[in-house]
Amino acid sequence: MQASLILINYNGRDLLETSVPAALAAARRAGGHTVIVADDHSSDDSIEFLCNQHPEVRVLALPKLGFGGVCNTAVEAAETEAVVLLNNDVVVTPDFLPPLLDDLTPPDVFAVGCKFLNPDGSLTNALGNRTSGEWRGGLLQIHHETRPELLKETCPQLYANGGGMAFRRKSWLDLGGFDHLFQPFYWEDVDIGYRAWARGWRVLYEPASVVYHNQGSTISGKVYRPAQVELLSAKNAILFAWKNLLDARMFRRVMLAQARWAADDILIGGLPNRTKALWRAFRQLRQAARARAGEQRLRLRSDEAIIALSAGGAS
Amino acid sequence: MSEQTTLLLTFARRGEESEIARARDHLRQQFPTAQLVALGTPVTESVLRHLDLEHIIIYGGAQGARQAVREARSHQLTAAAIVYCEPGFFAHLKLEAFALLSGAHKFYRISPEQPIKTIGRLRLACSVLAKSFAAGTRLLAGFFICLIACFYLRLAQLLAGGRRVSRA
Repeated sequence: MQASLILINYNGRDLLETSVPAALAAARRAGGHTVIVADDHSSDDSIEFLCNQHPEVRVLALPKLGFGGVCNTAVEAAETEAVVLLNNDVVVTPDFLPPLLDDLTPPDVFAVGCKFLNPDGSLTNALGNRTSGEWRGGLLQIHHETRPELLKETCPQLYANGGGMAFRRKSWLDLGGFDHLFQPFYWEDVDIGYRAWARGWRVLYEPASVVYHNQGSTISGKVYRPAQVELLSAKNAILFAWKNLLDARMFRRVMLAQARWAADDILIGGLPNRTKALWRAFRQLRQAARARAGEQRLRLRSDEAIIALSAGGAS
Repeated sequence: MSEQTTLLLTFARRGEESEIARARDHLRQQFPTAQLVALGTPVTESVLRHLDLEHIIIYGGAQGARQAVREARSHQLTAAAIVYCEPGFFAHLKLEAFALLSGAHKFYRISPEQPIKTIGRLRLACSVLAKSFAAGTRLLAGFFICLIACFYLRLAQLLAGGRRVSRA
């Protein structure tokens, strides 16, 4: 199976200096796969750097589309059966690709996620490794595994982190790619993973496919202030629930919990930005309702089954 | 026993001791012969214990708000100083309401990196009213946002095909 390794870049020329050679080496070693850099209208010299230093890389110089938009455009532009999405701050190891492509062989597998390590080789605390979720406190609470002994086998997970995930291009296009609802970033990878489970696919975690992730050096560090990132993430978490939680009983419970947030924030001091995020999400209500209606038509599994199956259990 | 008693109100936490100390020093300076009583929470207690105060009223835990106010009023307070360290809208509202109900005649406002200000009873009452109104509005807004969202999203789902999701 031929693959395109797509690095998503925005003003990350310094990051590309290490991530592009690593991706090229892995692509060559696994047998002549393609490396693409999709650039979200950088204002630095990322494109000049790639043209001068790595002419073998295919560069997609795009207008400003945001993370999801760039990923969707780049996947459409790819000409291979498989696609690997990588953040520009992710440095792949030379043998990371074959295990991912092997796992994609069964037709019911939508995506496979890499094993994320910190640059010093320790397990990352950021989300990415063997993800799972539970509906609690008005949101889908995402968990990731931090015990090394439980990260040795290929296993199901809720979603593959968008910073290092492989999938079949056709499945991606069937699912409609990352949803614009979550612009500018965050939760789009959780959403596509959840939707894939909902429509009968599986998402896997592959510990043999190791990548190093310099977490946060892209979005939060350079473009947005931490408070903005937190607000956007909270807003998208709410939109995710509004769009994807279709079980009537669970949905009522989640909405009741969200209604209590304002009271919690006032009375006991809730999470910062939560009520502000609720208002931001409300401004996208029509968009969320349209997306929800679309999900309703195509869903094959219940929310309960998605959570159970993605955690490795039975539905 | 001294005739005058002053009250220091704070929900400040560890790391914010300097503001509490500033409030204490100010009250000691303004009322040199007065006893100093502090009102805090179980979280603040450990900080207040180190400040050489005559008495501490702990609000929260076993002691309810009404009981704390009653105890504060029993001291027949001359002045009250509110320390606005704790971030949080409702914490400030509670401190101001406590100060107002404590029966003190004079009020001081101590905010980080700002000079200490005297605040009149009427102004304090207005602040409590405004904050209560804002809290109520926020509460209602949050509730209605969720109510509308819930109704609209369920409607969209039902129009798209109801409860057709299988349990498989």
